[in-house]
Order: sequence, then C-alpha cells, then structure tokens
Amino acid sequence: MTARAEVTRGVDYRRPSLWQRIIASEHLAGWAFVAPAVILIAVFALIPIGWSLLLSFQANNLLAPGHYIGLANYKALSKDPQFRAAIGHTIVYTVIFVPVSVLGALGLAVALNRKLRGIRFYRLAVFIPLVTSTVATGIVFLWLLDPTFGLVNYALHALGLPQQGFLQNPNQALYCIVVMTVWGWLGFDVIVYLAALQGIPQDLLEASEIDGASKWATFRSVVLPLLGPATLFLVVWSTINALQLFDEIYVTTRGGPLGATTVLVFYLYQQAFQFFNAGYGAAIAYVLFVGILIITLFQLWVGRKRVYYTS
Amino acid sequence: MKRICLLIVTSALIVAGCGGSGSSSSASSTGSASASGSSGGHVNITLWHGYTDVEGTAIKALATQFNATHPNITVTPQFYGNSDYALQKVLAAVAGGKPPDISYLYGSWAANIATNPTTVNLAPYIQKDPSWNWNDFWLAARNVTTVNGKIIGVPALIDNLALVYNKKLFAEAGIPLPTTDWTWTDFENAALKLTDPSKKQFGWAYVNDASEDTVWRFWAMLWQAGGSILSPDGKQAAFNSAAGLKAMTLLQTLAKHNAIYLDDGSDVYPGVFNSGHIGMLWTGPWDLSQITGHQPYGVTILPADQNHQTISGPDNWVVFNNGSARVNAAVTFLKWFTSPAIDLKWATMTGDLPLRASVAKLPGYNAFVQKYPGIGEWAANLANATQSRPVTTTYPKISTVVGQAVQSVLLGKADPQQALSQAAQQVNGILSAPS
Repeated sequence: MTARAEVTRGVDYRRPSLWQRIIASEHLAGWAFVAPAVILIAVFALIPIGWSLLLSFQANNLLAPGHYIGLANYKALSKDPQFRAAIGHTIVYTVIFVPVSVLGALGLAVALNRKLRGIRFYRLAVFIPLVTSTVATGIVFLWLLDPTFGLVNYALHALGLPQQGFLQNPNQALYCIVVMTVWGWLGFDVIVYLAALQGIPQDLLEASEIDGASKWATFRSVVLPLLGPATLFLVVWSTINALQLFDEIYVTTRGGPLGATTVLVFYLYQQAFQFFNAGYGAAIAYVLFVGILIITLFQLWVGRKRVYYTS
Repeated sequence: MKRICLLIVTSALIVAGCGGSGSSSSASSTGSASASGSSGGHVNITLWHGYTDVEGTAIKALATQFNATHPNITVTPQFYGNSDYALQKVLAAVAGGKPPDISYLYGSWAANIATNPTTVNLAPYIQKDPSWNWNDFWLAARNVTTVNGKIIGVPALIDNLALVYNKKLFAEAGIPLPTTDWTWTDFENAALKLTDPSKKQFGWAYVNDASEDTVWRFWAMLWQAGGSILSPDGKQAAFNSAAGLKAMTLLQTLAKHNAIYLDDGSDVYPGVFNSGHIGMLWTGPWDLSQITGHQPYGVTILPADQNHQTISGPDNWVVFNNGSARVNAAVTFLKWFTSPAIDLKWATMTGDLPLRASVAKLPGYNAFVQKYPGIGEWAANLANATQSRPVTTTYPKISTVVGQAVQSVLLGKADPQQALSQAAQQVNGILSAPS
C-alpha cells in the first residue's frame, strides 16, 4: 500500500524498471500465494483433462505409442449396446439416489434440529458413515447382504420371509448399491441441511406462529423455501456424484452380476484398464462430462426460477 | 521489505509443496545414478516386485546372495506395492524414460506388454545360451512368456488348480475320498451328497464374479472334456462345442441343486471351507496358508472327463531396455535366480511351486514337500497343465464375455447351450474386429 503510493506520487523520479514494478505489484504476491495450489491443480487436473481429450481421438492402449483416429471412438460409442446399457444403469441409479438421499437428509435434519437429550450422539451417528472409508462400507455391506451367511437374510429367515440374492441377484444388485450409497452419503446432506435450518431467522418462525400457522404450514411456507439454496446445492452436487459412481461398485459387485451394475464410470474403467482401450475410455469420460454439464446447467436454470432466497 | 519476505515465504511453500512429490523422484534419481554406474564396469540394476512378508524377505536374501557372488552386478529389489497395479506404475516409469530393469508383471498382461518398444525380446539371449535349459521350465509358464515368437519374460511364478477336499465332511457323508482316478461322475455325485441346505453345507465352491477367476475354472473343465478355447488358427471361438456344453451342463446341474457355494469374488470361500461348510474346492497353492490348521484336508488332481487337465496362471519377470550393459546384467540375474538350485531355495523359503521340472530331482526337494503339506500334489499336477489360455491382446475381452456366460448359467438366467452360443458369437465379433 505504501509502496504503491510512492510509485504514483513519485512523478519526478525516473520510471521504475520492470523488475521493480514486478516486485512492487500486488499481483505478484497474490499469484505467489496461490501458486502452490495452481501448480497442483494444473499438474493433477488441467493437464490430465486436456490430455484425455487428445486421448479420446486416439487408438491408444497406454502401452505403445498411440495414433490419431479422428472421431472413430465416438462413432463406435454411438453403436455400443453395452455403453447404452451403462447409461441406463447410471440413470436408474441417479434417479433413485438423488431424491432418496436429499429427501431423507431433509427429514433427518429436521429431526436432528431439536433440543433433545443426547442430540450430539445422534448427529454423530448420522455423520459417521461419511467418514468411513468406502472400502470398509463395501465390505460391511457384502457381509450383511451375503445370501448364505449374511445377517439380513438371517433376519428375513427369522421373520419367515423368503431369502434374497441381494448383490448376487442381477435384479436387485443396483438397488442394493443405492441403499449402500445413500447410507454412506446421507451424513453430508444432513450437515448441509442442519446448517441451513439453523440459519433460518427465529423471528420469521415466531411471526408465522403468531399468525396462527400450523407446524406443517410453517414448514411448507417458511422453512422449505428458505432451505431452497441448500436444496439446489445438494441436488446438483448429489447428481454429479451419482453420475460418477465408481468406488462402491468397484469394491462390491465389480459391475456384475451379469453387468447389472456396470455404470458409466465403471465401464470406462473396464475399457481403459482391463481391455487396454484407453482412447475409448477417454471418449466415454468426455461424453459423461458433457452429459453432466448439460444436466447441471439445466438444474441451475430450474433452480434460478424456483429458488427465491440466497443465503 | 514486507513483500519480499512474503515472496520468500511463499516460494519456500512452493518448494515444500514440490517436496511432497520428491519422495517419488528419489526412486528415479537412484535409477540415474545406476545408469552412470554402468560406465565404470560395475552395473547396478533395479528389480521391481510386489512381494511382502516371507516372499519379501526371500527376495532380499537372494538378491544379497547374488550380489555377493557377482562382484560386477548389484541388484536392488524395490517394492512397488500391490502387483495388481504394477502395470500402471511400470508404464509411468517407461513413459518417464526410467523403467526398472526387471519387473514382476502378471502373465495376463504379456500380449499387451509385448507391444511396448521398451520391452526386451529375450529370445536371442536364451537361444544362444543352451545352459538356460529353457525347456526345463513348465510348458504352461513358457507359453505365457512367448508372444508371436518373442520371449518377453522369464517365468516368475507358476500355479495350478487342484482338488482340495474336507476329509471330515467326506467321512460324515460316507463317501470314499477323491483319488487320482476320479471322474466327473464321481465328482458330481460327491458334490451332491455333500450338499445339505439345512446345514448351509455345499459340495463345491465357485468364484462367481464373472472375472477371470470365474473363467479359468471353466477352461479347465472345457479341456478335461476335450474341448479348446479357440480354433487352431486363433480366429474363431471353439468353446461352443460338445465339450463346452458338457462343462456348462455340469455347472448347471450342480448350481440347480444348490451344491455350489457361489463366492462373490471377495475371497470368502476359504473362510467358508475352514468353517466346514464346503466339501471341495478347485484352488491353487496360494490358498494353502489360509486353509492350513482348520479342517483335515487332502489335495489331489482334478477329476477327469476325457483327461485330468488343469489350468495354470503363470506370471513373468519382464526386462526393460536401459542399454545393453544393464540388459545383460538383468539377463544374468534372471538366469541365476531361476536356475534349479536357487529356484528350489526360493520355493522352500516361500512355498511357491518350483518353476522347473528338474527341481523335483534335486536332493532338497523332499524337505520342501514336507515343509508344506499338500504342495507336492500341486507341484506334480503341473504335468497336467498342458494347455494355456490364448496369449493375445484381445484375451481380456474374451474373458469378460465367457465370464458373463458362466455366471448366467450359475445364476440360472440362461441354459448352457444358449449361453455358449451367445458367448461364441460375441467372441467371434471380438476376434474379427480390426485391432
């Protein structure tokens, strides 16, 4: 601040050299501060993103030098029935996962936003699955849902209900993955909603009470609209996460049984790292990227029309 | 002045930030040091492996022994983590221009590794030096080192599937124990008799995740029934045959009667076997340490339809080109390391099967067999590993298709003929596609 003042006032001095101006500039200090992050992002995100775009125009197995084949990967994708099936699985998963996890979190957050004995314990219980590693979650669910020796089938048997195949049944596996991921991710959504709930001004709630609004009417007309920004954020964020589902599948079903849980990113992984079609895998990644971009823009556009309050 | 201090602090931060990745570059700096070391007549080479535990100790001990007896060469074993992810790491090192001289890599990658220009073709070294005694390596292991006439590796590990059975369950069911004369009929009858849903007891176990683990057991059955995977020219699927149908039908029959414990691929079956709920396994010596000390078990060869063939999944030591001096040193090391005497030493230290047939004639062989009860049967069973899976770049795709076919039969979603026809059609599509 003082340095700039000297420079601007010092008209009778000779113009400072480029080096002096660089040293004196606040930009330099600013860039120096962000440089570590910028370098890391460039090396681990921007360069791979650019490189994978090039890769998607190549026939490349990552072992031998690749060669350019134009749009052939994208053309092959448009005729690939397994790719279409993977899109189908991804959509089914997303369409169930997003509403279930967001609505479930809303209910839980409202329930947890009260003065109860031991509320901290309940909040912790909801949050713990989020900080549990995916591998641990996956293995626990594999054990719980084991058709022969699992606890869930044991409970069903005790209740006189028929035994299920769960993750080993092609008709049930994807839904089991939904349950597992909702359990794993709910904590994050609850935290966001809890924060939003606690940000609602008390005087608004009191005003509606004085006006004679019922609890439900208050929730519907006051609380819910004020949670709009949080809901929009969670829907967008959950959708992006759901479309990129991979870890849980990798740890549990590996895309099976009979391909029933082969979602897009898992199919991408199979192509690139099991079949050595890295170019094809990169093309899948770019189709997914464009898909996510379009869906997100649409959600934000809808959100702008429906969400009136900004936090 | 304050600003300059800030600059110093931030640049220090940048340096510190880069320091995080510096740990990985230290590995490559040793690589360059050894490159300069080769000019002085003494050659330093690196060997990448994923060995832990007993094997980790053994590789260090044998490298030390080699270095002591070969004053011109120093071999440095470096642990690369889990072998499952070795290919990506080695490829990154190749792309960075500093590959390891020797790396342990899975046999299933052989055809793809052969396409990399840095991979050394060892055929000239082996052909001009008869003391390699190359044909002494088991056929199944040699097959996986050979891609289109090139030899892209030296056998590093060999295994095979044998029949492991729970003696107690056989006695309880009143069935005579499996013998080397067992047929599929004996096997099927025993599996059905050992099955008891009320006790959650299964005759057999099968890995049902549609991965290669699912597929290779099916190949063993296909070969036993006299079938083959591909036509002799490798251009057509050949598993859609009477033999293939027979194998699939056996799976279907046993699955229908709940005689098979279907493992989801997360390696549950050894535990279930240990708890006395599975009568028989088709498995390899890698499970030996897990199943020892729980149930009274026996090991024998697989049952026969036409023959008692088994399948082997060998892995390779692959040499990468870092200049002729280092390639020569790597070849010298591998020849020493896989020589019969050292191979027996390794097998005795680790419980791995010997790579060479002649090892069984060495005086120390009996001690090895006695140290690991059951290992002798697996070692002898290598003579039944007479066929190999196709060593081609398209094999992973073929495996996926056949894995789905086997899984669909096991889950009762398709009948054997339907599953085979559909899989054969898809495999023919894969084989005819331009690569």
